Amino acid sequence: MKKYLMFFGRECPHCKAMMPIVDKLEKETGISIERLEVWHDEKNADLMRSYRPILAPKCGGQLRVPTFFNTETNDAVCGEVEYEKLKEWGTK
Amino acid sequence: MRKFWRCYVCNDIHYGIKPPDVCPTCKVKNAYVLISTHEAKTICGASAEAGFGKDDFLTAIQEFSKNNEFMVNPDPAKVGLLLEGIFNNEHNHGLKYCPCRLMAKDFDEDLKIVCPCNFLIHETYKGVDKGECWCGLFIKRPKTSEVIP
Repeated sequence: MKKYLMFFGRECPHCKAMMPIVDKLEKETGISIERLEVWHDEKNADLMRSYRPILAPKCGGQLRVPTFFNTETNDAVCGEVEYEKLKEWGTK
Repeated sequence: MRKFWRCYVCNDIHYGIKPPDVCPTCKVKNAYVLISTHEAKTICGASAEAGFGKDDFLTAIQEFSKNNEFMVNPDPAKVGLLLEGIFNNEHNHGLKYCPCRLMAKDFDEDLKIVCPCNFLIHETYKGVDKGECWCGLFIKRPKTSEVIP
C-alpha cells in the first residue's frame, strides 16, 4: 500500500516552514502524509535509518530533514521545496 | 588514524594524524608527544569550562565566521530554533548534531554532521549565489553592495 512519509526534526526551521505546505497538499489532493519526528523519537529515527540506502543518494549522501518519501515508489524529496515540487512527488 | 598528542611544555592537546610542528599556544618546536585517549579525555575534561551554553556557542560561531566568507544567519528566530535543536541533540545524543539531518549511527559519518560542519561542500552553499549551509545557520556573506534585510 502506498504510504507517504515526512521525516522531520522538531527544531529544524525548514521542516517547520514545510508544515503548512504539507497541510495544503493533503487538503488539495486528499492524500495523507504521515509526519515522523526523528530527533526525539528513536523508533522514527530507526525507521528513517532503515531507508538510508534509498534516501541518502537522493539527499547529498546523508539522512536529512525534511525528507518526503513514498514507500511504494521510493520517490524522495528532501529539503524545503516549493508547493509544486511537493505536489509532483505526492501525485505520482 | 587520528590520535591524541600533548605538548610537554604547556599541555595543549592536539587530535590529529600528526602533531603540529610548533605548539600554537607556547610556540615551542617539536613539543608534542603521543598520549592515550584516557589521558587526553582526563586533561580536556578537567580543564573544560563549566557550562558552555547557547550564548557561548553563538559567540564562538560568530567569532569563527568573522574572517571567513560566511556569517551566522541574521534571522534570530531561525538561529534560536537551531540552537535549541543543537543543544537538545548534544544533551540527548552526545554531540552538537545538526537538527536538520539525522545520525546514521556510524561514528565517522556522524562527525560530519556536528555543528559547525564542513558546509562549504553542501549543494545548498557551493556555487550558490545566496548559499547557506543545509540547516541555514550559516549563510554566505553578502557582497558589500548588498544589504541584509
